Amino acid sequence: MSKALFDKYGGFKSVSRVVMAFYDKILDSDQVGDYFDDIDMPKLIDHQTKFISSLLGGPVSYSDERLRRAHASLDLTHEDFDEVSRLLSETLAEHDFTPQDIDTVISEIEARRTCILSTGRS
Amino acid sequence: MSITAINQQLLRAIGVGIAVVRGDDFQFVFSNAPFADWFGKPDPGSPLQDVLHDIDMDGVRAALDQTGRYSGEISVKLKRRTLVIALSISGADEETNDLFVVECQNITRIRELESMIDSYSSMVERNTRELEREKERVERLLLNLMPRTVYEEFKTFGVVTPQLYESVSVVMLDFVDFTRFSTNHDPTVTLGELNDIFTAFDRIAEQFGCERIKTIGDAYLAVAGMPEPSPDHMRAVANCAVRFIRYLERRNQSHQYKWEARIGLGTGSAVGSVVGIQKYVYDVFGSAVNLAARLQAFANPMCVVAPDSMKEFLVEEFHLDDLGKQEIRSFGEMRLMRISPGIELARKAGRF
Repeated sequence: MSKALFDKYGGFKSVSRVVMAFYDKILDSDQVGDYFDDIDMPKLIDHQTKFISSLLGGPVSYSDERLRRAHASLDLTHEDFDEVSRLLSETLAEHDFTPQDIDTVISEIEARRTCILSTGRS
Repeated sequence: MSITAINQQLLRAIGVGIAVVRGDDFQFVFSNAPFADWFGKPDPGSPLQDVLHDIDMDGVRAALDQTGRYSGEISVKLKRRTLVIALSISGADEETNDLFVVECQNITRIRELESMIDSYSSMVERNTRELEREKERVERLLLNLMPRTVYEEFKTFGVVTPQLYESVSVVMLDFVDFTRFSTNHDPTVTLGELNDIFTAFDRIAEQFGCERIKTIGDAYLAVAGMPEPSPDHMRAVANCAVRFIRYLERRNQSHQYKWEARIGLGTGSAVGSVVGIQKYVYDVFGSAVNLAARLQAFANPMCVVAPDSMKEFLVEEFHLDDLGKQEIRSFGEMRLMRISPGIELARKAGRF
């Protein structure tokens, strides 16, 4: 993954817009929205800011272990994962990311599928 | 359309939530659409606290009594999202206070953005700290390659100007039979031994005001009197030299591998500079260095040899044996002496 994506699309200035739009989309999604029903807003935003920045190669690294812990209690399905992945790619497209760069990001997130879906019960 | 109708129309149309309540019992008189979107449409005659459940009515009354205005925040759950609404209540007519206007602004997005900025600044701060640490690591590394004053010059100007030091002393040490040892042993053993010994030498050098310049294989080179001039440079290198020998003697008593070294001292001028552009090496050149190298080769194992010219500076503190005139390559004939610990130092050494 190149550090360039974060910088290429204008650093935090633009990434913040992506995060905000993505946040709105997942809250509005019927497939996954309910997971966020009782979640603490600042915590969710913190998570998403860091996760998306890290996906784009921004100034943060988000360890797989941390991802696993963040999602362990949710009992997520592959459909949930696909939905979120789709929403992210949609958001990126709306923010003028090139299809190639979107693919890069999506393959980054795909690489983390097992950690995100892991329930801790194996 | 009457003025009243236009006013009502306006209140309905704006994106700010507006409600009007009666001054005495806070019952709703009017509410617009955004207000209803957030809090539900108030039943006529229901009081404010029935609709804004979390509101602190005592606080509201007190604030209105004192300043005529209440400001606060209230959160309301709308579908999955917790909205943060900034609430402001004030009298519609300053004189009578028989009607209050309840003004509500949705500041959720502001709060969300604030959270994001917090999140991002914590990332950036963490990164900054990591960069700081990285910088310190680099600095420590460079300080291993060059003396601090040289490093400071390098950092400030990006270059190091070669500098001539008229009067410095050099101590040069080389191990006896090192090549044989390194052929017969695993390289990691050799390296471990050198590392151990040189680390000890570095400490001794530092303690006596010398600065290690480099090691070349098994050779160890330190200087005194540069980059910081010092009047004591000859005594500094002699002190180091006798202690290097003493350290090795002590070490040989308890270690598996026994090491013997030859040490030469030199004194005179030297030039110090960083050599190379990409691969920085701080190095010294000059007659003092060459002399130390020659005398080192001349020395018997576990002996320190120095030119006779250093005599007057060392005679009080060290035991000196005249070695007579010797032919030294590229220096010609010169009188040499062997240096060993003086009575004082030998006495101290014996005590421990």
